[in-house]
Amino acid sequence: MRAKRTTALLAVIAFAVLAAFAAGTVRAASKATTVTIWADQDRKAAVTTLAQQWATARGVDVNVVVHDFGKIRDDLGTVAAADAPDVIMAAHDWTGQLAANGLVQPLVLSAAAKKQFPAYTLNAFSYGTAIKRLYGVPTQIENIGLVVNTALVKVPKTFAQLESEALTFKHKKAGNLAIAVQQGTNGDAYHMYPFFSGLGGYIFGTNKAGNLDASDIGVASTLLLKNAKLVDKWNKEGLINSKVDSSTAQNAFLKKQAAFWITGPWNSDTLKQSGLKFKIVQMPKIVKASVPFLGVQGFMVTKYANDHGVSALAQDFVTNFMSKAASQAALANVAGRWPANLVAGKSFSDPVLAQFGKASTGGVPMPNIPQMNNVWTDLGQAWVRSTKGAGATKASSSFKAAARSIADKIG
Amino acid sequence: MSASTASTTPTPTPVPRGALTPRLLSSFSGTVGVAIKIALLSLSNAVAVWAAYVLVDRRHWIAVAVLALATAAIDLLYFGRRTLPAKFLLPGTLFMVAFQIVPIVYTVEVAFTNYSIGHITTRAAAIKQIELTSLQPPANGRQYTMAPARDASGQLVLILQDDTTRANFVGTPKGLTPLPAGSVKTNALGIASASGYRIVKGAELFALDATLQTFAVPTSGDKAIRPQTIASAVEMTPTLRYDAKRGVFVRITDGAVFRDDGKGSFVHGKEELEPGWKTGVGFKNFSAILRDPLVRGPFVQIFIWTLVFATSVVLLSFATGLLLAITLDKAGMRFQRLYRSLILIPWAVPGFLSLLVWQGLLNDDFGVVNRLFHLNIPWLFDANWAKVSCIFVSFWLTVPYFFLVSMGALQSIPSELNEAARVDGGGPAQIFRRVTLPLVLVATSPLLIASFAFNFNNFNNIFLLTGGGPTQANQPIAGSTDILISYTYKLAIATGKGQDYGLASAVSIIIFFIVATISAVSFSRTKALENIN
Repeated sequence: MRAKRTTALLAVIAFAVLAAFAAGTVRAASKATTVTIWADQDRKAAVTTLAQQWATARGVDVNVVVHDFGKIRDDLGTVAAADAPDVIMAAHDWTGQLAANGLVQPLVLSAAAKKQFPAYTLNAFSYGTAIKRLYGVPTQIENIGLVVNTALVKVPKTFAQLESEALTFKHKKAGNLAIAVQQGTNGDAYHMYPFFSGLGGYIFGTNKAGNLDASDIGVASTLLLKNAKLVDKWNKEGLINSKVDSSTAQNAFLKKQAAFWITGPWNSDTLKQSGLKFKIVQMPKIVKASVPFLGVQGFMVTKYANDHGVSALAQDFVTNFMSKAASQAALANVAGRWPANLVAGKSFSDPVLAQFGKASTGGVPMPNIPQMNNVWTDLGQAWVRSTKGAGATKASSSFKAAARSIADKIG
Repeated sequence: MSASTASTTPTPTPVPRGALTPRLLSSFSGTVGVAIKIALLSLSNAVAVWAAYVLVDRRHWIAVAVLALATAAIDLLYFGRRTLPAKFLLPGTLFMVAFQIVPIVYTVEVAFTNYSIGHITTRAAAIKQIELTSLQPPANGRQYTMAPARDASGQLVLILQDDTTRANFVGTPKGLTPLPAGSVKTNALGIASASGYRIVKGAELFALDATLQTFAVPTSGDKAIRPQTIASAVEMTPTLRYDAKRGVFVRITDGAVFRDDGKGSFVHGKEELEPGWKTGVGFKNFSAILRDPLVRGPFVQIFIWTLVFATSVVLLSFATGLLLAITLDKAGMRFQRLYRSLILIPWAVPGFLSLLVWQGLLNDDFGVVNRLFHLNIPWLFDANWAKVSCIFVSFWLTVPYFFLVSMGALQSIPSELNEAARVDGGGPAQIFRRVTLPLVLVATSPLLIASFAFNFNNFNNIFLLTGGGPTQANQPIAGSTDILISYTYKLAIATGKGQDYGLASAVSIIIFFIVATISAVSFSRTKALENIN
């Protein structure tokens, strides 16, 4: 029995030593200078090709890790430093939260590179309460537009035309929608923004320094309240209906049960494959221009690059390499979004994306301050309450309630 | 399939069916058993060694100590022969510590902090980040193509070429010195060579990362040229100065002093420097629950709805499950198996999928339910109907569970009891009320309590079906169907700058006490039931 136990002990020790060697080799292999990048599944291949190009020139390794785009912002705060990325793909409206958490590093673009970007894209990635800095290099832009089925209706020049065309179409057949714009029970302030801006609403005002001011909330601006009766009218005639969710809206348009659909470039492939004849325009002016929210995506350098000793390398990749027209064009070709770099935009052609681009004129970047977290639900719900058909709340009171609630939450 | 079949069958052989387990257990003491034991222990030790490597690499010393202790305990216990009960207790204890105690300790710890957006890092890291972001490129500040290099004496210097004028310089911590034109050569990657200097490249360059970050070439005033990337540098001017002695930030332009406000931020009046840091705030989160009208306002209303929701889901599903079980318990029923399988379907489909499907089915204008029955009921858009929908869908998901449980409980009731009751002249209703129900309850009441506690915190059902909506006028956070836990979630993501984990942890601790109290009271009540046996 004694001998048996000794054999057992020896076996266990041998196994453990083997494991130690295995762990040791894994550890040794990971010691080369490596820049880790988080990118989403769709853009992984393109980012890898670009990153490899840069890495070969600089003589370093890159490791592109697929990370669900929607989770990058929050996971960056909880990831263990050793597994953390040095560079992330990011949406501009995360800037405030990431900077306030101290998770990303301020960047400086060269004067020559700056000139190649529309000012709003750089502004969208800039944040600071006391000191404003740039935290991301824009690579792609996106916005929603009004997709018109030109076989069914004419492209409207004025909002009155849109209204009458849409309602005539709706009354042609039971089950038809007037304007297919997605809301659902939880609301969708993003897709409703053209209506919101057209009525004269805004989210946050700007202070003297040009920064967004979370204490100036325009969800119930005087102009919006003055025009809120229009919403009640649209609800009554069924121009928009909050019970339409994203799949209902998409199906209705594709099955020719809706002639107008408000959507963005993420559906450009769906549109191209639909076989429908369509044109994308900005929604006609209501009382003010019905501009969409602008979204900018790009790359950021995380604070972990510091811990990993690759801060200067990561910044070189993001500010010097990814800002280049050639890099941006390569990314735009696969990702289905217009490149942010103006030079790259000139050489890029995609008929659908170009139309979405035109629909962005005068658009407003989504506010990038963390207080925006408090706005989405309330503003979305104000629309849901006032456009749910029978029993809807008067728009002026829903928007007033939303504004009060947002102010309460921001505190 | 009633219990009578098993008890009336004669058992001629002395080997009952249940003997397999003891036989299996006894085989573990043989040579095969020892081999399996060695393999499992080796595996556990190998995993521990591997984990120790990773943990040491990341400098988690406490975790290393815990790992070493746990591994030693496992080895000693399973090599020894005397401590049999401990062999069974240890794995359970380890898992309980890992999956129950640690999260609870962590939640309690967080509840007493300001952990939220803007307050996730340490004070030291926050100060470092503020110093970094306070550097501003001045208007018309110079930008340079840069390469770190070594001079003749091996000192680190920066070779700089002005991006606009193309003038060459060498930068040291003392200042900027011009270099003759033509002495610096560039290529597509930046500066390639500089006469009289050795450009630092490859691994030597990458190792300089931390050095480059603090390297500054003073120009005029407090301006300095600082490396940004491995190939460029920018003239920067600081806007804030950290006074380590006083522990305050001073704004250079107007001398404004940003003081530590004790709540994890440097503030000057209403101005606040970001990031702040995570720090203890005592009972602030708990007092917010009591005082802040935003938090306190809907608490009672949500609490009542949570109780109504959990109670009605459990009672309705239990009643229906029991009824179905009794109906299908009849011996010799045709298609019995088919009926049983059909009832189990809601349980076989992943819950989140069913919930999303139900959300579509219940859509007022486009949903199947309203269209099929020619109804016009706002299932998800009206506060009261949404509550009905929540209870109904959760009921639909829970019935199969109680059907299974009741079926088992019914089969465990000895048939003699029913027969005796019938002989004594009891009618079916009386037998059910006096005999069947109490006996079923003995077996199922702990499960009823567990199901109640589960539904009390049934985040999935509410969140995926209604998202807590529809919203209520005059109530910013809580929707009509929000239960305490989904309300906590909303509170956490949507107040202040967002993601207030501290406040959310405080609320979840309170929820824990509510559920614990209700469960404790219920359990002591069910003790009375057990006396029937």
